Amino acid sequence: MKASIRKKAILLIIASFITLIFLAPNLWMLFGSFKSQNAMFALPPVWIPDFSYIKNFTIMLSESYKYLINSIIVTVCSTIVSLIFSLPTAFGLTFFKFKGRYFLADWILSTRMLPPVAAAVPLFILFKYLNLLDSLFALVIVYTAFNIPFAVWVSASFFKKIPYDLIEASRIEGASWFHIFLKIAIPLSKGGIATVAIFVFIFSWNELLIALFFTVSESRTFPIFISAQVSQAQIIWGNVAAATVIQSIPPILLTIFLQKNIVSGLTLGAVKN
Amino acid sequence: MLNEKIQKLLFILPTCLFLLVISIFPFLYSVYLSLFQAKLTKMHKKFFIGWENYQVLLFEDDVFPTAIKNTFMIAFSSITIEIILGFIMAKIFFEIRHIKFSNALRTVTIMPIMLTPLCVGLVFLYILNPTLGIFSYILDTVFGIEPFAYLGEPLPAKISIIAINSWQWTPFMMILLLAGLMTVPNEQYEAAKIDGANWFHVMTKIEIPSILSFVLLGVVLRLIECIRLFDIIYITTRGGPGIATEVMAFFTYRTEFRSFQIGTGSASAVIILIISLIVTTIAVTLLRRVERNEGLN
Repeated sequence: MKASIRKKAILLIIASFITLIFLAPNLWMLFGSFKSQNAMFALPPVWIPDFSYIKNFTIMLSESYKYLINSIIVTVCSTIVSLIFSLPTAFGLTFFKFKGRYFLADWILSTRMLPPVAAAVPLFILFKYLNLLDSLFALVIVYTAFNIPFAVWVSASFFKKIPYDLIEASRIEGASWFHIFLKIAIPLSKGGIATVAIFVFIFSWNELLIALFFTVSESRTFPIFISAQVSQAQIIWGNVAAATVIQSIPPILLTIFLQKNIVSGLTLGAVKN
Repeated sequence: MLNEKIQKLLFILPTCLFLLVISIFPFLYSVYLSLFQAKLTKMHKKFFIGWENYQVLLFEDDVFPTAIKNTFMIAFSSITIEIILGFIMAKIFFEIRHIKFSNALRTVTIMPIMLTPLCVGLVFLYILNPTLGIFSYILDTVFGIEPFAYLGEPLPAKISIIAINSWQWTPFMMILLLAGLMTVPNEQYEAAKIDGANWFHVMTKIEIPSILSFVLLGVVLRLIECIRLFDIIYITTRGGPGIATEVMAFFTYRTEFRSFQIGTGSASAVIILIISLIVTTIAVTLLRRVERNEGLN
């Protein structure tokens, strides 16, 4: 018994070291965001910064709040629109017994795995033709399309947990599919839907490639603003660090909520927790 | 009340139409564009040249072949590292899963997965700053190694990209394999104990066979991500030095959007697409199998 406790204690210490490897780089950037340009690259390093030094954040935010708002609008809208499209489809693929539903589900899934870079120019031309380039609307549409396959599959994996008898019973009582969807399936899968929403939110929030193609000035998202800071000849690292910290806050906070369902989400619902 | 059939169509049809227009059409249009010589800035002046874009890309120029080679080199190295380290980490976290504190550690460990790839690139760009970064300070003071431009020399740049990629995704492999280890029935461990099997036997005879489908799933999902590797390259090396870290997605972006050669760019996009389709077919089959026979629960 004693030997096993000692073994566990050693393993716990090793696990802490491992955790540190994955935490330290981010922590170093966080500390950097509270340093002046000189302190950021001082030798020997300034290990603990003065946390009351928030100039990096104030300067950066005053320059970029517009892009941050763009990012929030695009992310929130595309998350909502993705769910509006995906949830009914996931419900249908789970409960409607029609021929070819496996094929349809596979087809939807496979569109998820196609590389976005291969769609960028055709979409660019399409939106140019529709006069929608450099608009948040275009970004919302594209992000929604890229997120639907994921949302359909993962929501379906949660809908499958609903006992089929329950659906059957309501059908016999004469409830419409809309009623079953809204009054039974959605309430019973609240946790799962929240998981899907969080994933979709983070995917849209993190997106860079499509935004690089589509946004010129007005509709720039926050990641585009950050990457533009780095292509300047002289990088103002204080601002970059502050922007990186702000960009990282939503994914980090939301990951805490994902905890139990993260494996399930990352494997598109294939692995249950 | 609406007719049953119409009701059902309303659930499914809108998504399919949406995906057709925004997802399938663009890929087909890419195939079409790849047969033309065209500039993004002068779209009306494009002309048909057949397979010439592919010819040039694959056989007459060595940048794109290098990009393909680099993409797969980075993918295979990163995924191998991720599996080995991920398995070790999964084992450690599996052993201490009943200790409450280990949950907190695990949550912190998996954070890189969801982090904006752009930010991951920036964090390492800051750390790897050749003269004044913390990495060169530690190398210099602890190991006495002279600082140099880690992202400015071909081999170190490649290694850095693989390291950054693995740093972000090893935690993914860890939690996936951890989920796999959880499926091993307790009786099997007990039986092995009674038979006096050592840890090596337990690992090779019990654990590895039962998590194999998880490993496979992880490899395929990661391969799909690696084929579209872009953000980290874009922010750290931009494919450089020279073409040492050029990858397929970045090459396509550069060709289409920096040189505006959308014919050539589309051809390279189509080649990525074909490679993705092959991997995707495997992935979809695998996901289906895993999901249907509930083998992973």
